Amino acid sequence: MAQSLILLSIGLPWLGALVAWLIRNEQERAQHAMAVGFSVAGGLAALALIPHAASGVALRVPIGGMFGDMTFVADGLGVFLAAVATVVGSLAVIFSVSYMHGDPQLGRYYFQVLLFIGAMVGLVLSNSMLFLFFFWEITALCSYALISYYNDDPKAVRAGIEALVMTQLGGVGLLGGALVVYALFGSYEIDAFLKNATTLGPTPLAWMAFGFLIAAAAKSAQFPFQTWLPDAMEAPSPISALIHAATMVNAGVYLLARFYPAFAPVPGWKTAVIAVGVISALLTACMALFAPDLKRTLAYSTVSQLGYMVYAIGVGGIAACSFHLFSHSIFKALLFLSAGAVIHAVGTRDMGKMGGLAKQMPIACTVFVLGALSLAGIPPVFNGFWSKELVLEAGLTGGPTWALAGMLLGAGLTACYTFRMVWMVFFGEARSHLHGHDATPAMRVSLVLLAAGTLTSWLAAGPFFHLLESTMPYHKLHALSLGELAHEILAAPFTWVAIGVVGLGLLAWLGRNSLTFITDGFGWLGAAASKSFGFERLNERVVDVTRATAEALRVTQPGHLSWNVVGIIGGLVAVLILLTWGA
Amino acid sequence: MNTAFFWLVTLPLVASPLVYVIGRVGANRDSRGRAPAAARWLAFLVLLATWIPFGLAAQEVGTRGRTTFSVEAIMLQLDGIGLVLAATVLAVGTAVALHSFSYMGGEVGEEKYYAMLLAMMGVMIGLGCAGDLFNLWVWFEAMAVSSYLLVAFYREQPASLEAGMKYLVQSAFGSVLVLLGIALVLAQTGTLTLDKIRMATQVGSPAMLAAGALFVIGFGVKIAMVPMHTWLPDAHSMAPSGISAMLSGVVIEAGLVALLRALMPLAGVTPSWGILLMGFGALNMLYGNLLALRQSQVKRLLAFSSLSHVGYMLLGVGIALHVGQAAGAQGAFFHLFNHGLMKGLAFLAAGALLYALHLAAGSHDALTIRDLDGAASRYPMVALTLSIALLALGGLPPLAGFMSKWQIFVAGFASHDMLIASLVIFAALNSVLSLAYYAPLVNACYRKEPSAAVQRGAALPASMVLPLVLLSLAVIVLGFWPSLMNWLTEPAGAALLKALRG
Repeated sequence: MAQSLILLSIGLPWLGALVAWLIRNEQERAQHAMAVGFSVAGGLAALALIPHAASGVALRVPIGGMFGDMTFVADGLGVFLAAVATVVGSLAVIFSVSYMHGDPQLGRYYFQVLLFIGAMVGLVLSNSMLFLFFFWEITALCSYALISYYNDDPKAVRAGIEALVMTQLGGVGLLGGALVVYALFGSYEIDAFLKNATTLGPTPLAWMAFGFLIAAAAKSAQFPFQTWLPDAMEAPSPISALIHAATMVNAGVYLLARFYPAFAPVPGWKTAVIAVGVISALLTACMALFAPDLKRTLAYSTVSQLGYMVYAIGVGGIAACSFHLFSHSIFKALLFLSAGAVIHAVGTRDMGKMGGLAKQMPIACTVFVLGALSLAGIPPVFNGFWSKELVLEAGLTGGPTWALAGMLLGAGLTACYTFRMVWMVFFGEARSHLHGHDATPAMRVSLVLLAAGTLTSWLAAGPFFHLLESTMPYHKLHALSLGELAHEILAAPFTWVAIGVVGLGLLAWLGRNSLTFITDGFGWLGAAASKSFGFERLNERVVDVTRATAEALRVTQPGHLSWNVVGIIGGLVAVLILLTWGA
Repeated sequence: MNTAFFWLVTLPLVASPLVYVIGRVGANRDSRGRAPAAARWLAFLVLLATWIPFGLAAQEVGTRGRTTFSVEAIMLQLDGIGLVLAATVLAVGTAVALHSFSYMGGEVGEEKYYAMLLAMMGVMIGLGCAGDLFNLWVWFEAMAVSSYLLVAFYREQPASLEAGMKYLVQSAFGSVLVLLGIALVLAQTGTLTLDKIRMATQVGSPAMLAAGALFVIGFGVKIAMVPMHTWLPDAHSMAPSGISAMLSGVVIEAGLVALLRALMPLAGVTPSWGILLMGFGALNMLYGNLLALRQSQVKRLLAFSSLSHVGYMLLGVGIALHVGQAAGAQGAFFHLFNHGLMKGLAFLAAGALLYALHLAAGSHDALTIRDLDGAASRYPMVALTLSIALLALGGLPPLAGFMSKWQIFVAGFASHDMLIASLVIFAALNSVLSLAYYAPLVNACYRKEPSAAVQRGAALPASMVLPLVLLSLAVIVLGFWPSLMNWLTEPAGAALLKALRG
């Protein structure tokens, strides 16, 4: 049963991709219908897989030779992420029905979206490191193609290639790690590796652990690779919600969580993970405070929240991390989709031109505020509150104080930038004559379902933790029931500290006019944050230097036959010298 | 004597003059001097027919490891390496022949084109089967001679003639070096038969070292190893697109096979050959990528990308030589075959656009990246297949290039050698760098605003699109199921190891 469900949850979206592509672009309605149908069917298959979660290999397809077997394990972490990918995926597709209405290249759009959904399921269920990497790269390919979907816009093309090159650059770490395992074990199987990781020897294991950390940081847009994600906001909004908030960017966190039992003993690894998480969370929270662009603010916030998850892994809170990942993918998808509805309606992403939209777009406003409250970590009915508190609790028991202090500060900043964002978009004076119509029916379906998820997903905590504990033998997780979770969080004095900090963040935004003496003092921070703390400059430098080198090298191709022959003779002399010297 | 093997080499060679005569006679009768369709159909059908002896010979090689036939004292032997080369030649060549129906249709001298194409293919299949240095050199020269004329096919175009001239001189220079190397080997060992040379070599013999160096450089010109590569960008971009596909996808790889044949018997002289080839591989990757980065013409860009792909093959072969394992060679041969498909596809797709946008209107302008803008709106299939080829070359899954690169990388790590492992990482980083020039082409194709060239472009016939679709399917299928080619690459890896150790 699990076998066919795995095949269906990868295969249905991929089949849908082909069908939507084969239907000609003139038949738009059929394309929408097929895309929605296949993505929803894929979502149902992935949901049906949850009861069949187990730790053993569920499906084995022999490939042969040095490619090993393509194996899939449907354990707790895998099935829940597969469900997130396909369910949020189908909601994004439903949203696209009106968001992408009338687009002339719809076949290409749906092909890439559905290819992505299937690949994401493959990524989280794969038990072979080769095929983990295989699916990993397919998601990067789709992400690139969708970011630069509006190919006529040079900014979109640049952002797409930036995302592709950066995630691939990090991906080399994953590649290297997988190759180390194959070279030493003769197999790519992840469960076998987790079982015998210590026999790998400390040095290869350390190389692998840090290689995977680099890959994860690049994929999840963590420090120092955080720049690609804000730039990726050139993508259509449903894509930002699906790929750049709810699913693909979580792949890095997933990778760390999956391999945590093997890497945890590596000296310095956990500290490095914590540092990456804290730096990413704080840097981007500051940037979100000053960003004028609605989608970029959300992107900064995504990097910042992913920082919380990475931090949770560093302090050993795998369950807390997964739980926050679960909440975040729901409320951030909600935020992106409702932001998409706003942008679709008013035609700009600049928050400076918005304001007072609450009256014109009551539905979009309501669901956006729900998502924002969850992001800010406001108690008690929002999923973001429970999962973020759980992450902080994990930090209290397992991590250093400086990191915890950083994450607390981050929670305050999150509250502050979230309220700034809500205020600038929906409340206050209208700052221009924008007129917005509210979300269309197709959009409403996705928004309402996600809003319901934001309010209720934390109630599933009991089964969720049980699923993880019972199917992931190497992680040695401890399951909490909902009651225990509530008790642990509400009874801990630390929770009230955290809520206090969030409250301070909120107050800081409300009282921003009377706090000018502080904000004036932080003017430098705003200036630095708007320049992405110099990281974009750094990227540009790297690109410029590469280009200049390439340009300079063209001298070696002068096009004169005599020089060409000199090249041959030079080559011969060099080889002769090398051989004499070497032999 | 093995009949299947005999026909595999002979069919294209025998058909070549026939095609020429039929074409020539027809052209003389035609008022505008155009060759009749019979010539191209004969060429295409002969290539299709050659697949039959190929299949039979492949079975033979699969069961017995090698198959031979001899004419008097000359013996040809088909082993795994020869089989990979033959498969690549036939796969790319058949697609090229079909693609050329319209591309070359009505060109002055079309009959020469097909005749030379067939001859070049037959010669390359033969080259993979040479059992001694003399025959190897003869086949190698025959390949060069048949390709000169094809590179300079547009004899009215100065740029095309210049490219042909550079290619001729540099190639001839390389051949002289190879000949010197052969002379040294003969002087030292008294034999030219590959198997006997191995037994006669001594460790560290300076003359044999020099012979090996001459082989590396001499064949290196044809393989386009940096810094002997300078003829390649001109030749590959100026030739008719079908020939660009053959040159990039097969001819430089045939040079690599020739080098391996000549160098393997000298393996005992020094352990440095493997390192040397890996070094050239690394140099080729980086140099090819950096130069491709700044190109504005599509075919020139693809030509530079061939430099970097030869680098991957050299890396794989170098690993195999250095640590004496078959896996690296197997990966390299898999990449050789895949590169034939991917680069063949890329050149044919670019060629289809070049034809539609420029050639059909009688212009010999180069196809620039700007011309690609919005190509997908009018030529969706060509844009898609070009994108598939480029992404596959960039090593993205689920496409063939990912799998063959992976196989080379695995072999590198399996050697448990830090130096090789770091070279593998270097190669992987180069793959990432290569995306920086492949991706913009894909983006350009899918712009909504078509370029002026696309707007006034001509329609494309199905015979030009069909080979693109077939090659794309192969590239995708191998991306999902790489072990489909194990029957081809495993014997090749084993054959290299056998040639290495005797």
